[in-house]
Amino acid sequence: MDKQLDNPAGVQGPSVYLFVTCLADLLRPSVAFDSIRLLEDAGCQVTVPLQQTCCGQPAYNSGDFESTVPLAKQVIAVLEPADYVVVPSGSCAGMICQHYPGLLEGEWRERALELSTRTFEITTFLNDVLKARRGKRPPITLPPVTYHDSCAGLRELGIKQQPRELLREFCDSEVAELQQTDVCCGFGGTFCAKMPEISGKMVNDKLNNALATEAQILAGGDLGCLLNIAGRARRMGRDIEVRHIVELLSGDLDGPAIGEGK
Amino acid sequence: MQQHSENFLDNASEALGNKSQAEFRDLMALFTPLVRDAAVQGFEGFDQLRSHVKRIRQHSLDNLDHYLDTYEQHALENGNQVHFARTGDEMNSIVLDICQQHQATRIAKGKSMVTEETGLNDFLQRADLEVKETDLGEYIIQQAGETPSHIVGPALHKTAGEVRELFLDKHELGERDLSEPADLVSEARSVLRRHFLEAQVGIIGANALIAENGYSMLVTNEGNGDLCANLPPVLIICTSVERILPRAEDATAMLRLLVRSATGQPQTCYTSFYSGPRREGDLDGPVETHIVLLDNRRTDILASDYREMLQCIRCGACLNHCPIYTSVGGHAYGWVYQGPMGSILTPLLTSLEQSAALPNACTSCGRCEEVCPSLIPLPELLRDLRHQEMEQKLTPSRWRFGLKMHAWLARHPRLYQFFTGLGIPLLHLVGRRRGSFRRLPMASGWTSQRDFPSPQGKTFMQQYKAGRKAQ
Amino acid sequence: MTGSARSEIFARIRHASRGAGAEQIVGELRSLGRAPAAALPCDDLYTAFLVNVLNNQGTVDCAADRSGAVAAVGKYLYEHYRTHRLVAGNDQRLAAMPWRDAGVLPRFGALEPGETVAMSYARLGVAELGAVVTFTGRANPAANNLLAENHIVLVDGAELVPDLEAAWATINMLTAEEGRPRGINFIAGPSSTADIEGKLVQGAHGPRQWHVILLAEAGEEIVEKAREIATPG
Repeated sequence: MDKQLDNPAGVQGPSVYLFVTCLADLLRPSVAFDSIRLLEDAGCQVTVPLQQTCCGQPAYNSGDFESTVPLAKQVIAVLEPADYVVVPSGSCAGMICQHYPGLLEGEWRERALELSTRTFEITTFLNDVLKARRGKRPPITLPPVTYHDSCAGLRELGIKQQPRELLREFCDSEVAELQQTDVCCGFGGTFCAKMPEISGKMVNDKLNNALATEAQILAGGDLGCLLNIAGRARRMGRDIEVRHIVELLSGDLDGPAIGEGK
Repeated sequence: MQQHSENFLDNASEALGNKSQAEFRDLMALFTPLVRDAAVQGFEGFDQLRSHVKRIRQHSLDNLDHYLDTYEQHALENGNQVHFARTGDEMNSIVLDICQQHQATRIAKGKSMVTEETGLNDFLQRADLEVKETDLGEYIIQQAGETPSHIVGPALHKTAGEVRELFLDKHELGERDLSEPADLVSEARSVLRRHFLEAQVGIIGANALIAENGYSMLVTNEGNGDLCANLPPVLIICTSVERILPRAEDATAMLRLLVRSATGQPQTCYTSFYSGPRREGDLDGPVETHIVLLDNRRTDILASDYREMLQCIRCGACLNHCPIYTSVGGHAYGWVYQGPMGSILTPLLTSLEQSAALPNACTSCGRCEEVCPSLIPLPELLRDLRHQEMEQKLTPSRWRFGLKMHAWLARHPRLYQFFTGLGIPLLHLVGRRRGSFRRLPMASGWTSQRDFPSPQGKTFMQQYKAGRKAQ
Repeated sequence: MTGSARSEIFARIRHASRGAGAEQIVGELRSLGRAPAAALPCDDLYTAFLVNVLNNQGTVDCAADRSGAVAAVGKYLYEHYRTHRLVAGNDQRLAAMPWRDAGVLPRFGALEPGETVAMSYARLGVAELGAVVTFTGRANPAANNLLAENHIVLVDGAELVPDLEAAWATINMLTAEEGRPRGINFIAGPSSTADIEGKLVQGAHGPRQWHVILLAEAGEEIVEKAREIATPG
């Protein structure tokens, strides 16, 4: 599997399919464009299959397994041809790697398991698989950054050091850590709409912990959490830029942050 | 115990509105995980221990018929009377019968979640028995007429000031200084000491039942359970069938997990094993002992996909680590068990219909599973319960319909991209100046608490396809 | 009622169990191996035990022989209570101690109201827990463990075991010889509670103080060493 990675620069790198995720597709396309750029800079051949939509988490987490199964099969069939599948979201990558195999049976379970060995969340792929380096490019200058570890990424996929190491490598930036960084921000998919008051309390705690770090940017790897925290920051009139980690790593900081106007 | 789980959202709302209690819960949420982490880190091989005990528990449940039978034989040999209760009502009646046979009027009770589940205290009190909880936390809430907010620290929702007011009101002891928690503990000690010495029946629970020798294990810090087990002439142990473990060493292997997960202690003060009535020549101890084994749907759980839930050791770690529990407190859950374990046990032990909100009080964050000493996949079991709600149409119809529509559309990429390609750019046009929406149709749950960030522009798929065409 | 409840519950459990034979079950259980124990705070078993007793909010002393132990008890009683009296169970080992040498006046039996200090001779001590183990019976009535204000426990160095598994090996051997006692009590600290605002208070329902004397030819310095290592919370 690693043989393609050993190729010197310039020689064709691994073929990567980007699973865009529905939230990036609809609300923040720059996350997908920045992901493509980062992967290409690291030598990958990036393909975006056009038959993709959503990984099925909303239905799955709400207990509608019957609706999720055909969607999961569709996603597997679309992504299978790749050497690697890369996802700019811990929870969607976790859905494919951890939950598809449990949801499916027989041949489809085998296919799900096989795909799970080649599917990676983007910071894990860049840092652990590609061992991406800044090389001769100058480091990207960032104001102080804090990082929100999204729960699915942290617990299902063990994403913790990867974004921090990449920020160090690409941006010379040390994360100002949040208090209670391992506590959920209150998004939880449909939870935030089903139990808004509790969710509101949780995201308010998260926002306050972020503000306490005095960082100017809160970064994270999951748009769901980021939309939640950015939305709360806007509602409370608090100034903190909320951005996806790939925006920072690719220096895409000119456009408005999540939830900010022009 | 009366159930109010159907009011979860209202209960939660009320709890969130109580500022001082919410602040105290925030403090506990910060503090209890640190204590637990330190205790776990102090035990090299905690993960191996978890796996070992998990295998033992699995083995015990797989062969529960064998072990229950062995336990019963030894318990009888040890001189106990063993009773079986299919339901909570049956357990309550058995206990009342025993008390009445001895013309007992005073009962000293140790902490037992099983008897909370069956509502034993109310049942005995209706028959004019004086039942006193003797665990300090349980005593406090009993005096206050409340229910436990936490399975381990039942009165942690009360401040020392509130306990002081309560004691001044309930204990007729005149003027006295109760300014420190230590003063309150001393007062409860002296009030309850009298009750211990006068009680005719002691009732306790069990942390484990040991098949190989018929002993039951009791773990406390206060020693109140031991006083209940040793002073009154009659002892009744109320417990449930899934507590059985093969050997004493299995019970104490589990104890290593329990103490660290529950209170972050390396060891609780009293770990006691009781076999039965006093032996010949003994100077004290009960002369008659009963063991009442409750089923109350546990055998249904044993036969179901929720079987792993029977491995729960009631340590409370999932409560302490659940951001929803720490936000709203235990009373919101409206029954005996709270937090993630409660959100699973309540529907299984009562009805899913009445507790339909509870499995939804979860963001699948996975923190509970991470700390669970029994390695129970709590988020997965909660999701399975949501699946059952979906199947039984307990999920509100607009949610069911919305989710099905979304999933259907997602299975048709061309249509999906057509519709999102129409809607998203429009939303962008309206929202781009401000960057977010304060209100949005059909998203009131979201926008009641936070703005909805506006889309950045056209969808990625639109932009990507346009870019490929241009090349 | 309970007869039919019993058979119904058993039937339901049998339905959900595997129906394996006893021999197979025993074999499987054996194959699951042994649980890992907590690491001891230091190599020396005596010191490790004392460290954990201190960590459990106990106080400790060490005596080389029985007259040393009696002297230690006498000194402790006088310093804390200005008394020479205590209550102990009808334990032959306690009865044979040279109490008079230290001027201690023990009464043998179960603790009565008004008596403050009780003394027990532990059947064993468990270093992993910093716990002493007593059996209820004539030699150690339950009231003595539970109703005293102060519980003094003597434990033989030779009867210390490193962990819970070793403790059960010993206990199972003793109960096979003597029969099963009504109660087996692992005591690891004075009675305590944190039920009010999570603040630890000693002396909940049982003893407020717990004093452990290790009977071993180990020298005073192990007490000092244990105090250095201990980190009572």
